Amino acid sequence: MASKRDTRRLIALLTPGTLFLGIFFLGPLAVMVIFSFLTPGLYGGVEWNFYHWNYGRILGWADGDWEEFDPVYAQIFFRSVRLAFTNVLITLLICYPAALWVSGLSVRWRTFVVFIITLPFFVSLVVRLFCWVLILRPSGFLNTTLLGLGVISEPIDIIFTETAVLIGMAYILLPFMFLPLYASIEKLDYSLLEASSDLGANPFQTFLRVTLPSTLPGIAAGAVLVFIPSLGNFIVPDLLGGAKVLMIGNLVEQQFLSARNWPFGSALSVMIMLVMFLAIVIYLRRIGRSEIVR
Amino acid sequence: MQKIIHKFVAGCLMTAKMTLAFTGAMLIATQYAHAEGQLNVYNWGDYINPDVLTRFTEDTGIEVTLDTYGTNEEMLAKIQSGATGYDIVFPSVHMRDIMQKLDLLHDAKVNTLKGFENIDPANKRSKVDPESSFCMPYAWGAVGVFYNKAEAGELKTWDDFFALPDKGKKITMLDDLRETIGVALIKNGHSVNTGDGDALKQAEAWLLERKDKISAFTYDIVSLVQAGDIAAAHWYVGATLYTLEEPDKLGFVIPEEGATMYQEDVCVLKDAPNKDSAIRFMEFYMQPEIAALNTLQQVNGTANVPARDLLPPELKANPNTNPPPEVIAKLQIFEDLGEDLRKYNRVWTKVRTAQ
Repeated sequence: MASKRDTRRLIALLTPGTLFLGIFFLGPLAVMVIFSFLTPGLYGGVEWNFYHWNYGRILGWADGDWEEFDPVYAQIFFRSVRLAFTNVLITLLICYPAALWVSGLSVRWRTFVVFIITLPFFVSLVVRLFCWVLILRPSGFLNTTLLGLGVISEPIDIIFTETAVLIGMAYILLPFMFLPLYASIEKLDYSLLEASSDLGANPFQTFLRVTLPSTLPGIAAGAVLVFIPSLGNFIVPDLLGGAKVLMIGNLVEQQFLSARNWPFGSALSVMIMLVMFLAIVIYLRRIGRSEIVR
Repeated sequence: MQKIIHKFVAGCLMTAKMTLAFTGAMLIATQYAHAEGQLNVYNWGDYINPDVLTRFTEDTGIEVTLDTYGTNEEMLAKIQSGATGYDIVFPSVHMRDIMQKLDLLHDAKVNTLKGFENIDPANKRSKVDPESSFCMPYAWGAVGVFYNKAEAGELKTWDDFFALPDKGKKITMLDDLRETIGVALIKNGHSVNTGDGDALKQAEAWLLERKDKISAFTYDIVSLVQAGDIAAAHWYVGATLYTLEEPDKLGFVIPEEGATMYQEDVCVLKDAPNKDSAIRFMEFYMQPEIAALNTLQQVNGTANVPARDLLPPELKANPNTNPPPEVIAKLQIFEDLGEDLRKYNRVWTKVRTAQ
């Protein structure tokens, strides 16, 4: 009897969440996958005929008589993956030392710093990015400061370059790297570090063989959290890259709006999801499991 | 003009829009209580003088709600997906043709309404509705070059514009496939509506040759041109708003080789819940002093002939907002491309991807 009641309770508890995900996540996802195999409608929307070109085009095969073989979409895809990966490295290099430092502060200061890090979320993303346009432009804050200090003699061209896109993406995604890293570093057992140094390891060896492996789950979680939104981002390349640094997210936006080709946009989105899915699977298999074992 | 809205303002508007959409939905829910007194407007951001709407409410007692969009496609997608409750929309001419083909518009018999005699026949630009029965021509303008005089000097032609990067000056073009490919087509002597693959290949090669010279494809340049960070930008005649403020520093020119132009019409939706209010709005707007009131704030071209005479001299005699016939003859307007849009899209992707 008791187990039956447990089952019923379990069903009651799980139903709302399952229904929610089923309707608002799996439903749209199914629409997207189905659309990606259909013929594009002339004015947006789809025609209910199977169309095999959508995926072929991503790899470069020409669509009908108005294209030639050209892996232009694959190029954009790889560029996006490269930029997203670079962004993971940048945020990691910034956040790891910062998280180590914060975890050494008193509890009161730690809470304050974590609050400060999440503070930018209170302001609209587009407004924050537009501020970066003002900072990075030739007569902007960065250039006037560097010119004033005599570091440079000519304004440097940052705005509308790949560097500007990387700065913007690192800026908006820093908290996503910092928070999991910090959670992981905070749990670090300091007696292990003492033991390591008692046994004759120098600080560098201790970091490499004790600190780094024990915080690996945080690094992995942060990497996944930064990689995924970097890959699909289209606002940063638009605003800071001047739409010259085309990323896969911009391509999807272009397909759904100005190109009015929803099926191709859906096919591109499915490709992005597959890559993200792969990233998460790797994360779960490598890191997730080792964490559970420990 | 509508597209001058900066993306960050668009971001704020998104929030405002959601609020408006919410209140709009609530108003729609209650409107049946006073069905005569309501008009739900769906327009580009910043594309109508708020005073015009206030005057309309004062004159007629009809309450107005305003919701905004950033692109024709965004509006079309929303109407197609069954958004109801909107009465009038402001599509560009090629988009209103598409909407009429898709049977989304109500035939408001605009050309029989009071005040239609004020509309310039030259502004009846629709291909599918040449007599303007469905929609009212609203406003139009050229897309040319907005520049900083200290950085760029005086500009007259597209060649002057593309010569600037060789002197170390920065230029930008619009992040819009039709506009930017359009300039390339004009420079190579083609129609901006061509479906000819070779013409498009030529335009693509022409743009690729200049890609390194173009600093960015963007709409958000006003503050950058004002500061001189960008010497000149491919932009809308709405820039006149800024050139009139600082005539010694800023300029706008319709290049001699020709340029593109935009025009938006006001249309009543097939599903409009308040068609009577919508028609009253059109009649209200066709009064010359109302069209002039709007043009004064929007600084673009009006389709209303007597309204042009009511404008202050700096707009009436302005070669950009009220260009002479020989300049108008060199302006090309976009038509619906149908299937050929895919060719343009391909060119645009290649231009933006090339390194």
